[in-house]
Amino acid sequence: MVTMAVTTALVRDTFREALARKIFWGLFSLSTFMILFFLFLLKIDVVAGAMATMTLFGNVSRKFESQELVRNVYGGIAAFLYTWGLFLAVFASAGLVPSLLEPGRIELLLSKPVGRVHLLLGRYLGNILVVGSNIVYLVAGVWLIVGVKTSIWSPGFLYSIATTLFLFAVLLTVVVLLGVAFESGALATMVCALLMILSPILAQTRIMDRLLSSEWARQLWKGIYYALPKTYDVGRMTLDLVRDRPIESLMPLWSSALFAAVVLGIALVIFTRKDY
Amino acid sequence: MSELAIETSGLTKIFRSVWKSREVRAVDGVTLAVERGTTFGLLGPNGAGKTTFVKLLLSAVHPTQGNARIFGHDARVPESRRPIGYLPENHRFPTYLTGGGMLELYGALSGMDAAERNRRIPALLEQVGLADWRDVRLGKYSKGMLQRVGLAQALMHRPSLLILDEPTDGVDPVGRRQIRAILHSLEQEGVTVFLNSHLLAEVELFCRQVAILDHGKVALEGRVKDLTAGKGYQLRAVDVPERLASELAAKALATVRDAIFEFQFPSREQANEAVDLLRAAGCPIESLLATNSTLEEVFVRTVKG
Repeated sequence: MVTMAVTTALVRDTFREALARKIFWGLFSLSTFMILFFLFLLKIDVVAGAMATMTLFGNVSRKFESQELVRNVYGGIAAFLYTWGLFLAVFASAGLVPSLLEPGRIELLLSKPVGRVHLLLGRYLGNILVVGSNIVYLVAGVWLIVGVKTSIWSPGFLYSIATTLFLFAVLLTVVVLLGVAFESGALATMVCALLMILSPILAQTRIMDRLLSSEWARQLWKGIYYALPKTYDVGRMTLDLVRDRPIESLMPLWSSALFAAVVLGIALVIFTRKDY
Repeated sequence: MSELAIETSGLTKIFRSVWKSREVRAVDGVTLAVERGTTFGLLGPNGAGKTTFVKLLLSAVHPTQGNARIFGHDARVPESRRPIGYLPENHRFPTYLTGGGMLELYGALSGMDAAERNRRIPALLEQVGLADWRDVRLGKYSKGMLQRVGLAQALMHRPSLLILDEPTDGVDPVGRRQIRAILHSLEQEGVTVFLNSHLLAEVELFCRQVAILDHGKVALEGRVKDLTAGKGYQLRAVDVPERLASELAAKALATVRDAIFEFQFPSREQANEAVDLLRAAGCPIESLLATNSTLEEVFVRTVKG
């Protein structure tokens, strides 16, 4: 009971800080902008339930098979969420861990009867919920608008809430680790951006199998690929889910989750042992 | 529950540089016992290790050697901090919180339920003179107000051990008096107050026990009245002939102010002998007082070795 109350207090504090730093409002405004875009600017006319035209800024683009059109719209949003949305969320959240560890603030938190693991996980959870609430708002909002406009209710798009949030939770462990170890939000953002850039390159294992001459180099490449979070693969998985295609493998999910668990574990060990 | 609020045994903290080429013994084998219900002052020059010692008690810093216990519980266990209220020296309270919001947060982290917090917050803000500031963000507070709301935060969950690091820093004289009054009322309620302060007069006024930390070690410890007692005897007389004044000045610290001769004798025997000589010479005696040292004098003597 007390544990739950403490967790709630830590989550609320993260929300308050995110609101005060305009992080929440920034993400919320961006989401609202996208929802309004679909509400007012994108006009979709479904003709006899089979063919549709898409009108953007008054220009009729071309005719689509209506299901395909909706999936393309969803796919585009999911891809946007995956690249820019995810990066913005990491960028916006990067300062929330170092701010907790500021001298004069952390001592007071540590003087409370709350374990250090609980303290850090509370902030981690709060951060996920701040970003999660925005992802739910954006995806569910667009899904409702497009659904109402086309009468096509494709639940696959809603999976992008889970996958985007999952990937954010994975990258956030890197933010937490670098925040605890170096107390730097900027460094955390850079490393997360690097991981996101590296992921599609590392994912080309088949091509690299052919390009790399030594077995040692091929194994090293694969080792790095399997060890790091797979933003690219999970992104493709999301697109497959949005487009109602079968998923090839769950490996990107569990290996990314394993990465997150290890990184978060290291962050907790450092935080537990550190002097403030 | 233990009769000792704080108990440390050989508590040591060595800070090592990254490459371990340099080490600083911030706290060096400190063994200290603070009785429940007392008012305890921790003194020491800058860099003596006072703040590190406090952080060791709160487990914000991990000991290199030795241990600390709070009411008999190992200080490393989070639960041992439940009876502690703490006000750090260079605090940085989240400026996005209001005064009420801050008390709400730290009250919840201290394990208070919502109903209890709601009852306690207005009463505490009233007590520290910030009732009208409940809904104002801390960013708008002055230094003295932050100090007062910080004290309210430390008192939120009715702690039985209050650890205050420079509690009156930046507080105006009226606010300082208000804080002193709160601390006195807590003392009467049986709350143990552990004060870490540079203001020796304040410590002398409030604390019953003190310890002086120097270079990480306890240089002196004891009851304030014992440490300051027995400085000697002050004898004041007028019309003292020059020859007698010189004779007495050889045995005592002598000063002349407004034609009144003032002698400070280290012992009662010397003071009595001087009285006899002065009376024999027909000099009127203005006063004879047994005098105490100030805590500042004790501190300077101790730190200068």
